[in-house]
Amino acid sequence: MLDVSRVQKELVEVAGDKVSGVSIQLLGNSLSHLQGTIDGPSGTPYEGGVFTIDIQLPSSYPFEPPKMRFITKVWHPNISSQNGAICLDILKDQWSPALTLKTALLSLQALLSTPEPKDPQDAVVAEQYLKHNNTFIATARYWTEAFAKRSSIGLHEKIQKIVEMGFSEEAARAALQSSGGDENAALEKLCVG
Amino acid sequence: MPTKRILCKYFKNGACFKGDACEFSHNWSDPESNVCMYYQSGNCAYGRFCRYEHVKLNRQEGISVGKALPVQTHINLVNREVASSSATPRQGACDVEASQDSRSYAAANIAWKEPSMFSLNAADEQENFPYLPADVGCSVDSASSSATNGAGAVMKYNDPSEEPICALAAAGRCTRGETCPYLHGDVCTMCGKECLHPHRPEEREEHKNQCERNQKRLEALRFSQDIECSICLDKVLSKPTNAERKFGLLSGCDHPFCVSCIRDWRRTSQPQGSGADTVVRCCPVCRVLSYYVVPSVIWYSTPEEKQEIIDGYKARVRDIDCKHFDFGNGKCQFGSSCFYKHAYRDGTTEEIRLRHLGAADGNTVIAKDVRLSDFLGRLHLRR
Repeated sequence: MLDVSRVQKELVEVAGDKVSGVSIQLLGNSLSHLQGTIDGPSGTPYEGGVFTIDIQLPSSYPFEPPKMRFITKVWHPNISSQNGAICLDILKDQWSPALTLKTALLSLQALLSTPEPKDPQDAVVAEQYLKHNNTFIATARYWTEAFAKRSSIGLHEKIQKIVEMGFSEEAARAALQSSGGDENAALEKLCVG
Repeated sequence: MPTKRILCKYFKNGACFKGDACEFSHNWSDPESNVCMYYQSGNCAYGRFCRYEHVKLNRQEGISVGKALPVQTHINLVNREVASSSATPRQGACDVEASQDSRSYAAANIAWKEPSMFSLNAADEQENFPYLPADVGCSVDSASSSATNGAGAVMKYNDPSEEPICALAAAGRCTRGETCPYLHGDVCTMCGKECLHPHRPEEREEHKNQCERNQKRLEALRFSQDIECSICLDKVLSKPTNAERKFGLLSGCDHPFCVSCIRDWRRTSQPQGSGADTVVRCCPVCRVLSYYVVPSVIWYSTPEEKQEIIDGYKARVRDIDCKHFDFGNGKCQFGSSCFYKHAYRDGTTEEIRLRHLGAADGNTVIAKDVRLSDFLGRLHLRR
């Protein structure tokens, strides 16, 4: 039996924390299948990206680690570029029941900023990381831009639309940026302010 | 559990209704407990006349006897009440002890309000209990007057420390207040009851110590209320069932868990070959290795308190036969380190003889059980 009260407590804790850049959403009614998101750490090629993680809780959680997998494609030596599988000890044999979903997601954030190429999940990426580091950084940045940026999708069209409504291009860009790419929220902001 | 080792008083007289369900022992070889419970808390009204032993129990035994005594005191009260009141009309020999008994029990009688059980009608008692010895020394005037109205003559005592204090006041409430003919004890500053006998310094000291201990325990319990288990994230002492409201103390560190949570975690089997056998034996928070878990209903705040809890637990289980050892029929993997008793059926304890082997390099090693898996494991590594 899944310890429902503990999972609920963890969800409340994550929902109350707005600064650490991690969040968890429910998928349907079951508590055993969740979806987490983490912000890419700043100062890394993943900066600005929002990464979605699929979380499956086994019935013996928290005595067994949660099963986590990246849904967003990411270019990283310890994360499979094919299926998003993660190589991280605390999600395997070093799991401890004192860890929570939040700490696990924070560990994933830390993993993004400090890759471990000696213990790779994706050999191709690890090799590139070790031998052609510049190429690796460029690829990782490109993947972040292409797959992990919500606001970048159709940004140009949104700006165009707002400009057509009579606002300047700079104001439209700033408003979109501050509202996280949400066209309606940006418009509202422009109308009010 | 521990009261099972004390002979049942009812059984001894052939009158225990509880049969197998009785919490006391029905085995003739077990000893009787004859320890005064009131003395333990420092306010026995009978002083040196008490029929029970005034000896101090250590804390360990105190727990077990504390449970046992209310029942026994109950018998004590009934018997004495009957003896003194029934014997009163016929005997002339004066004896302070008996009258003193009847006076105090008359007082106790008011508190209990069970007239059918504690009828003061001497004739009735005589009919109902004709087998009672009639030669209990007691004076006609003092005892009968005190037994009937409970507020009779004021006795003169040679030694003021012999005078009993009012049992009702000592228990917290005497309705008669100023008009009470009995000596009221001094007020204990901690429990607020009039239970300190003015002329028995050692009992006063005893009571104060007891109160201090209770206070400390209460404080620790209050402090423990807010402590959360790091596994289930619940407050340990707010769990639904009584069995779950216990802390599991780790020997190596000071992180709090429910005893059920930490035991569940230590039982989890980890994937083979990851060297993770030790992972489950480490603290989930700080990963410091702990060899054992000690259950406790309160959490500690100092290392001394922790040690006290651990020592108390070890002393408790040392008397319990190890189920793995099974009186020599089984095998306990903990060997000499086991906290439980390793004794054979005849009562002799297990002796552990370690075998020492001299290795080629001159070192001595202790021989352990040789297992085939050890060799196979090494073989695997070499390949």
